Amino acid sequence: MKLTALQQHVRFALLGLLMGISLSFIGFSSYNEVHKMFLFQDLRLLLTFAGAVAIVMLVLNLFVADLPPTKKIFHPGIVPGSVIFGAGWAITGSCPSTALVQIGEGQLAAVFTAFGIGFGVWLYRQVHRRFFSWDTGSCG
Amino acid sequence: MNEYWSWWQGALALGALTIFFVFMLGRMLGVSGSWASIMSWREQRLRQKISMAMHANAAAMQDALMAATVAEFGSEKIQLLLGGHGMALPPRTAVQAPATGLRWTAHLTFLLFIAIGGFLAALTSGHLEIRLDLGATHTRLFGTGWQEWLTLLAGGTLVGFGTQMGSGCTSGHGLSGVSRLAPASLAATALFFASAVATSFLVEGLLP
Repeated sequence: MKLTALQQHVRFALLGLLMGISLSFIGFSSYNEVHKMFLFQDLRLLLTFAGAVAIVMLVLNLFVADLPPTKKIFHPGIVPGSVIFGAGWAITGSCPSTALVQIGEGQLAAVFTAFGIGFGVWLYRQVHRRFFSWDTGSCG
Repeated sequence: MNEYWSWWQGALALGALTIFFVFMLGRMLGVSGSWASIMSWREQRLRQKISMAMHANAAAMQDALMAATVAEFGSEKIQLLLGGHGMALPPRTAVQAPATGLRWTAHLTFLLFIAIGGFLAALTSGHLEIRLDLGATHTRLFGTGWQEWLTLLAGGTLVGFGTQMGSGCTSGHGLSGVSRLAPASLAATALFFASAVATSFLVEGLLP
């Protein structure tokens, strides 16, 4: 899909807005709610997630002919990376998107989370280049 | 319970978002990928500079390539390949302008508007409140002030590092990958949920 710079910005802005609003109203940006999900005290967020996956699976597979490639290949970083991410998610209550939602909501402690995420991303890129450099399916 | 959307309302919103993303941008949703793009802005700028320079000096570029080829194989062999009989070297072909993918600044716009979306939602629902912590539960588990902030910095680093190492997060693996039944995404999603559950129980059990 060829898009001009302006189109890219406008479309990303709209989608970002929709994502931020949705995550906030769902409560995905609340440490309280996320923590209750991980302790299985409240299954609402789990159901939300499962429901979203079901909807996406149905619509994309039934109604979209040429799907973009998933680019998700099974490389050696999948297992350790996901375990590390899960631990971070439980500690901060945020995935890479919800830290930003928290900041928007006025939960300013999440500025530290966001800085941490930026640093972690940068750090992994250095480590990957130096020590791992297996094929991750993306050329970034 | 009615403070937040019910599960099916949330599912509809997140599902619609993931589908819109595919239609509007022709790629799968993945927020950690946007982080990666932003954090590699320097590399991207360098790469673009190089391809712009190669494009601007396409003629010089081709001459240099041809000169190197002649130096490597000798001009006779090349003439032979071209049909011999003193035929001229082939005319230069136009070099295509470098293809530009999604710019890192567009990814930055995406992240900024996620925050703005959070702001608007909090404003309309009356939850907007400037605070320096993440609420009572987080404070009970991790303290307040610098103790809490450094925990968040460390935890955020795990999130950033882990999502890059695992090539995806809740949106990229969880929503996009699982709905496409990509094996790596199924494994990743199961693992980061399991790891988060284990960490949460651990934190509840070990810390006062």
